[in-house]
Amino acid sequence: MVEQPLLSIHNLTLEYKTRKGYVSAVKDVSFDLMAGQAMGLVGESGCGKTTIAMALLRLSPDNAVIRQGQLLLDGRDLLKLSDQEMRDVRWARISMVFQAAMNALDPVYRVEDQIIEALDRHRAELSFAQKHQLVAELFQLVGIDTKMMARYPHEFSGGMRQRAVIAMALACSPSLIVADEPTTALDVIVQDQVLRELSRIQQSLHMSMIYISHDIAVIAEVADLIAVMYAGCLVEKADTNTIFKSPRHHYTKALLSAFPSIVGPKSELVALPGDPPDLLMPPPGCRFHPRFPQAIDRCMHEQPPFEQIEYAHYAACWNPL
Amino acid sequence: MNPASIPLVKVEGLKMYFPVSTSVMRQAKSFVHAVDDICFDIPEGKSLALVGESGSGKTTTGKLLSRLYTPTAGHIYLRDGVDLVDLVTLKGKSLKRFRRRVQMIFQDPYESLNPRLTIFDTVAEPLLVQNIGTLQEREARVAQLLEMVGLIPATSFLFRYPHELSGGQRQRVAIARALVVEPRFIVADEPTSMLDVSIRTGVMSLMMDLARDMGISYLYITHDLAVARYTSHEIAVMYMGKIVERGETEAVLSDPLHPYTHALISAVPVPDPSIQRKPPTIKGGISQPIDPKPGCRFYERCPMQFVPCQDDPPLARVDGRQVMCWLHA
Repeated sequence: MVEQPLLSIHNLTLEYKTRKGYVSAVKDVSFDLMAGQAMGLVGESGCGKTTIAMALLRLSPDNAVIRQGQLLLDGRDLLKLSDQEMRDVRWARISMVFQAAMNALDPVYRVEDQIIEALDRHRAELSFAQKHQLVAELFQLVGIDTKMMARYPHEFSGGMRQRAVIAMALACSPSLIVADEPTTALDVIVQDQVLRELSRIQQSLHMSMIYISHDIAVIAEVADLIAVMYAGCLVEKADTNTIFKSPRHHYTKALLSAFPSIVGPKSELVALPGDPPDLLMPPPGCRFHPRFPQAIDRCMHEQPPFEQIEYAHYAACWNPL
Repeated sequence: MNPASIPLVKVEGLKMYFPVSTSVMRQAKSFVHAVDDICFDIPEGKSLALVGESGSGKTTTGKLLSRLYTPTAGHIYLRDGVDLVDLVTLKGKSLKRFRRRVQMIFQDPYESLNPRLTIFDTVAEPLLVQNIGTLQEREARVAQLLEMVGLIPATSFLFRYPHELSGGQRQRVAIARALVVEPRFIVADEPTSMLDVSIRTGVMSLMMDLARDMGISYLYITHDLAVARYTSHEIAVMYMGKIVERGETEAVLSDPLHPYTHALISAVPVPDPSIQRKPPTIKGGISQPIDPKPGCRFYERCPMQFVPCQDDPPLARVDGRQVMCWLHA
């Protein structure tokens, strides 16, 4: 029997209604994620990474309009659930780690009480002592001293806050964790610790993870497979090694050759001409063509489909590398 | 003396202490030693990257060099012909004149450009302040600079407002504004960290091209060692107000001498999945240097700590590099 994916997104198309018109933030995005897999979602600001994450948790802002698509978690479409049913899914099945840990924690409550609040909703059968014990275990899991449990968020350092938010996300043992730039605000040494912790937990608990970042080096360290987005579209998806060793989409290649590294020979960095398109008026055809000098006629008029071009390697390009 | 052998910028014993006040009425008894006795020099046309974690004193150093802060102690010399002028002693008119020579580029191009000024007004403002040129001359100069930073054709940008430009274009405007008074030295504080990868590379190479073509020196402040590798000739690593290691960029990155530099480098993610990084050997984060005790400031986190570390480490010279560590004393 073929293994069913844990999460399956079909043709998600989402627009934001603004005074100037509709912003085409996510267009026709489809991908599957298996249980236990860590997928990196990489792309530049405004490419739709966070929009997908928010849509998954049904936390999109009010002006978001989902034009089409299905978000299947274990075969059940999240978009069809009532608000009540969705509340049961959040935290318990899918949880999220946000970028700004300071904003994700309420400054006037002790950290422990905030995690217990989530447990009250989803694990009501537990006694208070059991919940307290569970929080202590979570703190140990993410590597914070349990003495910190009764402290307030401002008493935590940046790295500790981010760990506390990860602990909170793990509280109800979700099957999928969505991490949106969780280490972007941290210094490298602390970032390294948080990344290792997150990877270790994800693997040992056999959770799935969608790790969102603009930093392809961070993605390389935590993800089994990588999906690359550009201007609202998914342009390429393959396992991590393949993306780095033999990218097929020209944007992926450009992204890799613009990225500086401190190891290996100092290779020339190649700048990409132009700017990402205005998604109020996305360019016709492939959205990357205005920044790609070798675009052929077809790139300018027809949107390339996102299809499998090799085993487990998907790309949306008329003229792949 | 041959002027080329004199560095353009020379910093000696620079200190900046900020008072920590518990009450408005009481005089401060404690001080944050944000910058504590640092020395370096930057030759003409070269770029020095200042790297370190947040709170290490990088930005304070940048603000001191552009005289946005007045230092607690120390000297900042800028070469003028064959003379060295101490910027710390400048006041009033002479300080204003010096501002032509030293300019700043800030991190956030969304915050550093006045939203109510057109691009022309933004870039021409330093000329107006310094009273340079007639209106026609200023117009020609601004147009020329916009083209130089890659905003082509300049006429299509002159009368637009910052909100009509992308992040990368805004940062190019900020660079043009810094260049318009023909400075010799630019303090660039994280100029590319808000920009996306595909945009960042262009801005980085523009800055390096300008350094080469116009002989401008940079103090390039960044937390990103990979960016420092591509934007500097020399690198200085700051830790709690001290420069713990300084040397030629490639040498420092490939063979770090100070345990802190070593840890910092080993924590940088590598964009190559075939490389398995070893975890850095140090733990925890940086703390604030409030009235620091004598001894090495890295002592608490250092994996190599041994007896002499209780005393202030000397500045040792190893193969043209400087390192402040007992291991190399």
